[in-house]
Amino acid sequence: MQPLIRGENITKSFGVGTEKRNVLDGISVDIQQGEFVAVMGPSGSGKSTLLYALSGMDSVDSGRVIFDGANVSALKENELADLRRTNMGFVFQQPTLLRNLNILDNILLPSMRDGRKHGARLTEKATMLMEKTGIAGLEKRDITQASGGQLQRVGICRALMGDPKIIFGDEPTGALNSTSANEIMRLLAEIHRTGVTILLVTHDVGVATKTERVLFILDGRIAGEYLPGVYDETRDDGKAREEALTAWLAEMNHV
Amino acid sequence: MYLRILRNDIRRSKAITLTTMLFVAAATMLVALAAVLVVNLSGAIDTLMTQSKTPHFTQMHAGELDTARLAAFAQQNQAVADFQTLEFLNVDGAQFVFESGSLATSVQDNGLAMQSETFDFLLNLDGEVITVADGEIYVPITYIQGGIARVGETVTVAGKRFTIAGALRDSQMQPLLSSSKRFLVSHNDFTALKQFGSVEYLIEFRLHNMDRLGAFEAAYTAAGLEANGPTLTYALFRLFNGLADGLMIAVILLVSVLVIAIAFLCIRFSLLAKIEDDYREIGVMKAIGLRVADIKRIYLTQYVAIAAVGSLLGYGLSLLFRDALLANIRLYMGESANATFAPLLGIFSVTLVFVAISAYVNGVLGRFRHISPAEAVRFGVSQEKAGGGRHFRLSANRWLGTNMFLGIKDVLARKSLYVTMLTVLVLAAFIIIVPQNLHNTIASDTFITYMGVGNSDLRIDIQQTDHIAEKAAEIAAVMANDQAIARFVVLTTQTFRVQLNDSSDERLKVELGDHSVFPLTYAEGRAPAAANEIALSVLNASEMGKTVGDVITLVIDGRTSTLTVCGTYSDLTNGGKTAKAVFSDPSADTMWSVITAELADPTLLDEKIAAYADRFAFAKVSDIDEYIRQTYGGTINAMGAASYAAIGVALALTVLITLLFIRMLVAKDRYAIAVMKAFGFTNADIRAQYVARSVFVLLLGMLLGTLLANTLGERLVGAVMASFGAASFTFIVNPAFAYLLSPLLMASAVLASTFFGTLDAGHIKISENIKD
Repeated sequence: MQPLIRGENITKSFGVGTEKRNVLDGISVDIQQGEFVAVMGPSGSGKSTLLYALSGMDSVDSGRVIFDGANVSALKENELADLRRTNMGFVFQQPTLLRNLNILDNILLPSMRDGRKHGARLTEKATMLMEKTGIAGLEKRDITQASGGQLQRVGICRALMGDPKIIFGDEPTGALNSTSANEIMRLLAEIHRTGVTILLVTHDVGVATKTERVLFILDGRIAGEYLPGVYDETRDDGKAREEALTAWLAEMNHV
Repeated sequence: MYLRILRNDIRRSKAITLTTMLFVAAATMLVALAAVLVVNLSGAIDTLMTQSKTPHFTQMHAGELDTARLAAFAQQNQAVADFQTLEFLNVDGAQFVFESGSLATSVQDNGLAMQSETFDFLLNLDGEVITVADGEIYVPITYIQGGIARVGETVTVAGKRFTIAGALRDSQMQPLLSSSKRFLVSHNDFTALKQFGSVEYLIEFRLHNMDRLGAFEAAYTAAGLEANGPTLTYALFRLFNGLADGLMIAVILLVSVLVIAIAFLCIRFSLLAKIEDDYREIGVMKAIGLRVADIKRIYLTQYVAIAAVGSLLGYGLSLLFRDALLANIRLYMGESANATFAPLLGIFSVTLVFVAISAYVNGVLGRFRHISPAEAVRFGVSQEKAGGGRHFRLSANRWLGTNMFLGIKDVLARKSLYVTMLTVLVLAAFIIIVPQNLHNTIASDTFITYMGVGNSDLRIDIQQTDHIAEKAAEIAAVMANDQAIARFVVLTTQTFRVQLNDSSDERLKVELGDHSVFPLTYAEGRAPAAANEIALSVLNASEMGKTVGDVITLVIDGRTSTLTVCGTYSDLTNGGKTAKAVFSDPSADTMWSVITAELADPTLLDEKIAAYADRFAFAKVSDIDEYIRQTYGGTINAMGAASYAAIGVALALTVLITLLFIRMLVAKDRYAIAVMKAFGFTNADIRAQYVARSVFVLLLGMLLGTLLANTLGERLVGAVMASFGAASFTFIVNPAFAYLLSPLLMASAVLASTFFGTLDAGHIKISENIKD
């Protein structure tokens, strides 16, 4: 089966001359449709860079990225923007919301670019998503009037507005306390169950254990892959999975 | 370390550094030039007037002169130090024939004079009193400079050949504003030519103490001495001499204020963009314990360096241009006594600009104090408060495109940020529209209504000659029998004593005749119809504190008469102080007569003008359009040139400020741009949002600018015009220009600048600006 995203021999470096550093060093990776994948690794290993490369937010030096059969690396600026708007959703560590807009407008922002005429329907959809994610009633609030956890849900609602095939998360729980982080992960798991592919970058073992596959990156290459298996929070407190993953990570770090 | 940071920063932002430096250089150059010119001009005027021994009081008079009576008055008046009467032989311009042509078309009253023996000397270019030999002539410097005459060439005056021995400086009559020009010839030559012109007398006094001039003027009037021509004083000569160059200095100062303002805006925008760029670093520096003063120093060093280099460059340039600008002052007035102070004042003014710029930069950098290290480190950009436009919601938007909505929303949410751009655009619209409207108004046919004359075809002026009344009657008799003349009127201006409320009296010029033939537009009331009625020009009315219905007391034919003010009218001629009435007084001094006529067939105008000019050589015959052109042609042309220059300045200002402003915004909005790009907005979308912001501010700016131009601008111009004598001044607007072309020009300037200003937005990388 054709993967939803395929990265082939991707290289990406930063800096020039003697200060040049290869952050992605010929990395190849496949993400299947409907998968829930976590990318882990030490700081500076290239996790976030891989995420930005696979989502077309950043160009690659060599190699290529195929999304749903299309060569992302060959797309022009506008085509990339269209691809992100219509097929992808993003959740960042910080809420990345616009201060000028209230919460509802922030959620509507990407979809309204094309769908102004369907404003009423889109507003209805945003309201429904807000209800689902537990932030109903905050529509008209300024973003300064919501908590970090609430704002992250706003970010998730915005990501879901375009019915994306995949959601990219760059440390989506990194700035949250453990209660909020758990709620966000529960939400993402729910979204995943509806068939949406999710690719997360995380440092948090607790977060990674809730995914189906963990990729470990070291020095710009995939150093290993771990399959925690399907997680069912109703039957499993997750402790055993966390211990197993921690042991594997320790092993990887020694490699 | 500072030097390294400085070098790197300048390398990174070459264009903005260069622009700022150039504006600083231009500003300092202009300020230094203005300072140097002021010192030199005031000094040179003093030198000229001291060397010339300019009279403190001059009364011009044509006709009989009772010298004995004048001498007795001078002797009895304690204030008088010196007294003389000089003759000025008014010769028709056509009688002056130079090798390059005659003065036939000159609007000046050209005439011959002899050198004075006691004061009011005519000087050569070395500032020495000229001694002229028979057969020699000294020519007013304006004609030498204008290339009409050359030293060494010959000139024929009324058939007599003279050699041009040199240029002369005349502290009394050389300014262009003075309507007469004196040519200096020897006593013998003057006497020989006397029959070819009319003699006008200059009755001149020098006083012991200039402070007593007011009292002296009153005493002269009270004594009822010769006075059928203009009265001029030392202060007026000083003003006339300084006016042309003074205006140039005023313009330079005005432009330098504008340039300094632009330099400040350049610095402000580039500095703010830089602070936004370095926001995180500044936060980090504060977080690790650097003091605000330490951080400020890094930035201050750069701008102080730019200001220093710019100031030095400006001062250097001022030295280059100084001589060219001083040439005119030196030529017309000679060296200034305090010329040595000029370079010092130049340096002082340049230093002042430099200190002001440094202080301004220091002030702008004061915002470092408000940067929260936590916020800066966390967000990397300033988190200004979003306020306003809260009810302008995307979810409720059904009409505007999303990009346009976001653009307008941004302006509404961050109003304070856009105020500067709005102000510049309002100013630009104002600067474009007001001079254009003014030019359009004074160039229009209806402008004659401000000149105190009714509309007619032909105008004959009889002045500075003897027997004016007889000459006017002679022309009137011919006109009455001329089939080609549909109607005409003789209006004679005479002077009368008017008794004021404070029991003092003043001389009033009253134009007498039938004012119903060519009626003019009255600001208030109507034309005088009865012998006990008088209409006043608005300046006279306001100076005397009279309105329609009030009465004034005039001494007519030796008796006091009470006249009712029946109307007021605009008059820009004769200093704006005239009056109109229908009574007659054969005993009063006649100053001049004007005959205006309308032709039965206007196509015969040129023919009739030629015929009357030929027949009545003593009169000046002109068509009304030509009269306006001669009176205001220079002003109209200068105003036209100024209005086009204003358009250029305003557009350049718009382009520069919009460009700098948009670049600053893009730097400030990096994060928001990256977020929008991450969620699928294209570069074109981002640009469209900035265009929407610009267009929104532009529309507001043009609307406010146009409104201001047509209200405040009209009032300002009206106030200036009122000081010259025009009441209820209103703009005559050329709608195609004011409401179509000027908005189009401004829109093009703003759109082009926004386009270039947003080029950087395309280079903003999502990963670099969003990555946590």
